[in-house]
Amino acid sequence: MASDEMSKIQELFDNLKSDKYPLEEYRSVGKRGVRRIDGYEKATGYAKYTMDVQLPGMLYARFLTSPYPHAEIKSLDTSKAEALPGVRAVLRYDDPELPPGADLGGHETSDVPALPRVAHFQGEEVGAFVAADNEEIAEEALTLIEAEWEERPFVLDPEEAMQPGTPLVNPEAFPDGNITNQNQGIDVEEHGDVEKGFAEADKIVEFKFIQGLNTWIGPERPCGVFRWNGDYPEVWVKQQRPHICKRSIASWFGGIPMNRIQIHCLYQGASFGGWSQMPWNMGGHYCAAVIARRTGRPVKWMFNRREDFYGGEMDIGIYYFKAGAKLDGTVTAVKGRAVVVNQGMPVFGFVKHFAENTRIPNIYGKTEAVLVNKGPTTATRCEQNSNCYCLNEVFSHLADALGLDPVEVALKNDGAEGHDMTWLNEQKTKLGFPASDSLKECVEKGKAAIGWDEKWHLPGTKRLPNGKLHGLGFVWTHEWDDSGGTSEIAIRLERNDGTATILGCRSDIGVNAETAYCQIAADELGMRVDDVHYKAQIDATFFTMTPDTSTNMSVNGFAVRNAARLLKRQILETATTSSTTQLGSAPPAFPGKKPEELDIKDSVIYEKADPSNRKTLAELAKIAGAMGPASPPLGEPFRTGQPYLNYAYTQPLFAHSWQVQMGTYADVRLRFCRQAHFMEVEVDEETGEVEVKKVVTVNDVGRVINWEGCEGQQYGGAYMGIGRGRSEEVVHDPATGVMLNGNLLNYKIPTMLDIGSIDTALVETGMGYGPYGLVGIGEDIATVTPTLIGPAVHNAIGKWVEYFPITPDRVLKALGRA
Amino acid sequence: MKPDRKVPVSEDEINFSVNGDSYKVRVQSNWTLQYVLHDKLGLTGTKEFCNEGACGACAVIMDGRPVLSCMMLAIECDGQIIETVEGIAGARHPLVEAYVKHNCMQCGYCTPGFIVTAKALLDKNPSPAEEEIKEALVGNLCRCGTYPQHIKAVLEAANNLHRG
Repeated sequence: MASDEMSKIQELFDNLKSDKYPLEEYRSVGKRGVRRIDGYEKATGYAKYTMDVQLPGMLYARFLTSPYPHAEIKSLDTSKAEALPGVRAVLRYDDPELPPGADLGGHETSDVPALPRVAHFQGEEVGAFVAADNEEIAEEALTLIEAEWEERPFVLDPEEAMQPGTPLVNPEAFPDGNITNQNQGIDVEEHGDVEKGFAEADKIVEFKFIQGLNTWIGPERPCGVFRWNGDYPEVWVKQQRPHICKRSIASWFGGIPMNRIQIHCLYQGASFGGWSQMPWNMGGHYCAAVIARRTGRPVKWMFNRREDFYGGEMDIGIYYFKAGAKLDGTVTAVKGRAVVVNQGMPVFGFVKHFAENTRIPNIYGKTEAVLVNKGPTTATRCEQNSNCYCLNEVFSHLADALGLDPVEVALKNDGAEGHDMTWLNEQKTKLGFPASDSLKECVEKGKAAIGWDEKWHLPGTKRLPNGKLHGLGFVWTHEWDDSGGTSEIAIRLERNDGTATILGCRSDIGVNAETAYCQIAADELGMRVDDVHYKAQIDATFFTMTPDTSTNMSVNGFAVRNAARLLKRQILETATTSSTTQLGSAPPAFPGKKPEELDIKDSVIYEKADPSNRKTLAELAKIAGAMGPASPPLGEPFRTGQPYLNYAYTQPLFAHSWQVQMGTYADVRLRFCRQAHFMEVEVDEETGEVEVKKVVTVNDVGRVINWEGCEGQQYGGAYMGIGRGRSEEVVHDPATGVMLNGNLLNYKIPTMLDIGSIDTALVETGMGYGPYGLVGIGEDIATVTPTLIGPAVHNAIGKWVEYFPITPDRVLKALGRA
Repeated sequence: MKPDRKVPVSEDEINFSVNGDSYKVRVQSNWTLQYVLHDKLGLTGTKEFCNEGACGACAVIMDGRPVLSCMMLAIECDGQIIETVEGIAGARHPLVEAYVKHNCMQCGYCTPGFIVTAKALLDKNPSPAEEEIKEALVGNLCRCGTYPQHIKAVLEAANNLHRG
């Protein structure tokens, strides 16, 4: 490859602008019907998950959990549990082998006790960890543990937690108060001058809304398996971030070299952010590691189904807003204050989408983040959920107050960083993107699909023949792949058959990114997509970007593409140069040709000027001999310079690549792609029931790699999002602090019959920073659509329901009927 | 020292057929069928999700009906004929290929339960209408939200069954 080709590859690492070197031809990228590489395994039940792992002699372990929302263990008698037949070990919080704190991973490094003595929420894993011959015995042993608890006062309500004199929620970690320690728990984001903006407004609205606690529900329970092979750990993780698990484990027991730790990251029964982002999950691994070493047996630890429910969405709380606009819908100022629960994640702020998405010049948002005695909170699908709520609650309220069509109000205010679309289009052009109007394209598709122009009406004005009230809702925001990520990925051309293997340990949570990576590699290499496979479950030591923050495609996609371009360069060089081994040399596959005279298509190398001069990749890589790639058959002499049978004399074909992406929340990149979602509802005034008749979800993903994968995130995200907005809430008893509905009978996730139809549409403006102009989609829909039911129900009943999820009782309350 | 167990656990031997193979298994009286299939027979396609009969992930076919194996005691299954997802896949039922083609899986954890429930439906009703498919599958929960695809896949599998 010429040096300018290499400099192009180097240039690809800079993805702060548009992709300058897309492919000329796409043979699998963007094509429908590419078979997903995990489909058959998952359909047949052969796909293995961590919960399915059984090893010889394996023990099963469970935690003691706190019956109280805030309590400390004064004494613990585990003798009866230890004596139960089948119990092999009981690890106690006061075990000398347990350090006061360990790095149990999470979003970043942490330093927390693996087995605490004090519980700060009901259901917290504390005090003891029991390993037995089966889970049932472990569970029975837990009931035999006699703990003397000292109950402490507790707080469940975020505004109450802020009051002076309120009991401390977690005096161990936060002795100074209930405000979380990040930025002293307060985040203020300010642009322009909101008071000036209110003075310019013709109309001002003031309102509040409340978000109830919801959670992720991973179908596979949190679990893991830890085995010591001598001094070396072998660990099965149910985690979105296998390399963070490895990093944590490497810090335990005085330090374990990274290259001695083997991780298995099998298929994941989904997690949607959740436990992977917080240390609790790795506490199980730490305790399992201690017991596994003590007993000489592998240990599988598990939460039970109820214990999965204790974790929940972050930034749940109360939001107060004041917003002003001109009569034509031009928003002049937005001011908000929020008191939210944030149990340990960075305080994020909730007015970012106004700054990133709109021309609104005057914005102010103050977040006060507190602790309460409920379970840990973290990004559930995405931490931008509160931003999506706030943007759309404000826009919906303003459009209503002005009597305007909310779609028109959105279009009027589209922009970025206080600037209008003219400015934003200039920025697109400067960075090499097309200056497309993404929101306009999205809403045109969405409006047509939902029948907006025929069906939209002023709030509370349409009663259907069946007696129900009809409503249409609309929400929007930008697309995102929102955090800094890095990725190391390798591709190897296999001996014998010339197929390509992508390497890089990575958690598969179901979004089918693996197939999309194969499509990218195939098109870049000139291979048939069936000839490329991703071995994502193997710990190939590379640090691959996690499947969160929607950066699957933009980070790993780039890394795959770069590796593929490097590998293609190697393949063509190998094909045109003679190969040398310890045993001699072999002539080139294409004698007298230069790499640039060749190309690859359908897994065949050919001469551009004479396509009949061709060799398959399998013929180039060739079969390996019994003693390795370049060995002659055993006992045969090696004839220097002579091709011997079909054995391969080429060098191993391997390329390793990396990609670094700066996070947009470091204020690096403007967002150009938009999304828009529509909902049609019928509301029964007598019962408060909201029937979701139709949902339309439209996303500008810049460029589609895998259609079915993107659409899966659309309808799938809509189901989860609408569940979160309409029926899902984790309820705690205010008197005892006990969680009341930690099961799937009483926490209602949507079934097949709970939503009418879902239409999906994708827009491809090419304005993403990822390869070929793509942007992520995985987190978006389930994060944006929870708020969609708000304006839809308001459009039906003409009243605002201020509490999400919008359950029938809350609808009746808004109607003054309850 | 062995303390007295509070709840004496009895054991018994059951004989049953799973995917055409005969098994003789010694089971404790409190073991669920899901536990025996998944942990003792290694048929790990029978998944535990809710563990209380609310989600369908552990569905198997018994006596021609889909049953929730987490709600069924193994000791009650003596003499029964059971079909799991592995049996359905082994028989190359057209549902499997239709499920792959229509991307009915995301994380895939609940997928076997859907296939089993859909197979039980097609066994009884080889030409189900869309509403009948929804009624049959409404007890199967999918947190990834793959629902719309299952209807397409079951309809296609039904068509392919007719074509033989």
